[in-house]
Amino acid sequence: MPETRPTVFVVDDDASVRDAIGNLLESVGLRTKMFASAEEFWKASRPDAPSCLILDVRLTGASGLELQEQLRKVNMSIPIVFITAHGDVPMTSRAMKAGAIEFLMKPFQKEELLTAVRHGLEQDRVQRNERAEIAVLESRAAQLTQREREVMDLVVTGVINKEIGSRLGLSEVTVKIHRSRLMQKMEASSLAELVRMYDKLTPRARG
Amino acid sequence: MPISTQPESFARSTIRSFGTPLLSVLVAFVLTYLLQPLFPYPFLFLFFGAVMISAWFGGTGSGLLAVLLSTGVVAYFFVPPYYSWFISTTAEAYFVAFVLCALAAGWVSSVKKKSEEALEHALDQLEVRVSERTAELLKTQTELARLSQLLSMGQLTASIAHEINQPLTAVVTHGHACIEWLSANPPNLQKTRQTAERIIQDGTRAGAVLARIRALFNREAPAKDLLDINEVIHELTTFVRDEAIRRRVVVRSELIPGLPKVQGDRVQLQQVLLNLVGNGMDAMSDTTGPRELVIASRAENDEIVVRVEDSGIGLNQETAEKMFDPFFTTKPHGIGMGLSISRSIVEAHEGKLLASPRPSGGAIFQFTLPIRQRDFNA
Repeated sequence: MPETRPTVFVVDDDASVRDAIGNLLESVGLRTKMFASAEEFWKASRPDAPSCLILDVRLTGASGLELQEQLRKVNMSIPIVFITAHGDVPMTSRAMKAGAIEFLMKPFQKEELLTAVRHGLEQDRVQRNERAEIAVLESRAAQLTQREREVMDLVVTGVINKEIGSRLGLSEVTVKIHRSRLMQKMEASSLAELVRMYDKLTPRARG
Repeated sequence: MPISTQPESFARSTIRSFGTPLLSVLVAFVLTYLLQPLFPYPFLFLFFGAVMISAWFGGTGSGLLAVLLSTGVVAYFFVPPYYSWFISTTAEAYFVAFVLCALAAGWVSSVKKKSEEALEHALDQLEVRVSERTAELLKTQTELARLSQLLSMGQLTASIAHEINQPLTAVVTHGHACIEWLSANPPNLQKTRQTAERIIQDGTRAGAVLARIRALFNREAPAKDLLDINEVIHELTTFVRDEAIRRRVVVRSELIPGLPKVQGDRVQLQQVLLNLVGNGMDAMSDTTGPRELVIASRAENDEIVVRVEDSGIGLNQETAEKMFDPFFTTKPHGIGMGLSISRSIVEAHEGKLLASPRPSGGAIFQFTLPIRQRDFNA
């Protein structure tokens, strides 16, 4: 899977600050997209690439914190680096609790910003890979028949074929056939691999 | 005048107390005497009127006197046997009823009069209290207006902070980018040039904000009121008293009384004082020793000298010069405009604002104001 170039989004209503941040990111070889308001960012289409959002807290129109809230509501995960001219403790802790990468006071130093941005991009890359992998596994699991699914649910808990057969009311031979089919469909070469895939597929179901 | 009115009003009240019953009963008698032949029964209603009028204008005493007089007149003239004080048994009940009715009429009238008087008194008092409250409110309003003028400097600084911080952020960020473009291999000179141009633009923008602020204090000549500087200082210290207590700072005033007046703008000078006092308190916030703030005034040559001393972290000679530059600050959240603005104000008053280390530790800020009234049109 060829990875598209990472993109950094900058949302700040002050044109000179926005340009400066863009210039700095460009000078270290990062691709940027600029927006003057939260609404503008919201409407824009975003490339399918690891990305990170540099977001001013105080904006004309919806504030940065409101945009963060909105993104979270629609389950759109993008790492956020907040920048502000006058941050206070409650505002900072609110943003950080909601999952912000960093909260920077203007004027900030280059390293602070770049470290936060790289951290954000890396986090997004990992999350995107994870999501892509899960999507593949889900499409494989979707090919399983009802019976194969039932067998898989038991196999991954370490139950032997004979026991599976008696629980599902099947002969041991039938269980073996279902088992090899599902291993093929899931493209798992060993039981250990299947278990790992199974974990990723149902992370929430297994408390 | 007050001495002569006393007997006059006494005489008037005596006439009213005795004259009213006498006159009203006389009128009632004359009218009754004239009308009596027209009625087959003793016609006595007019006497009730006389009693009520007496009680109304002369009070309870006059009412009773009118009852007494009426009773006498009625007994003598109108109750059989006529022209005698004697009352026949048949007329006895009628006569008693008359007396009782007369007493009742007098009582009702005087009670009514009293409640009316009480009401009037209450109204008068209410009016006095309303005017007192109005005066009080006006005073509070004036105080509030002055307070808000003083506070507006704080608000102004906050909004300036934002306006200046933006171009400043852009300058710093472009600066970093500039180094990056130069460090590339080969250096990207075109981008470097563009970035440097942006830095100049943003720096100029920050300067323009600053120029606007300074113009705010310079352009409009300050008011030229004749001021007692001690009064100006005293008002300010009253204003900061609570803050000083909160910060455990002892504020001491050493004001030389009877100083010549200065010409100037009360609010602007208090803004300068507020800035100096605020700085002094900030400088002492980490002090473990005594926190003492001295505000002193004196006359020297042709000038009034106002001095603000603190026992805080102090300053060295180098800082003492730099601290009046715009943006110079030692405070984590300061924007470095307070002293710059303060100096502008003092200079607009043809004075000087200077800082120096305090020998016993801490800092001294002092400003001068010319005493002599100058010809500003020259």
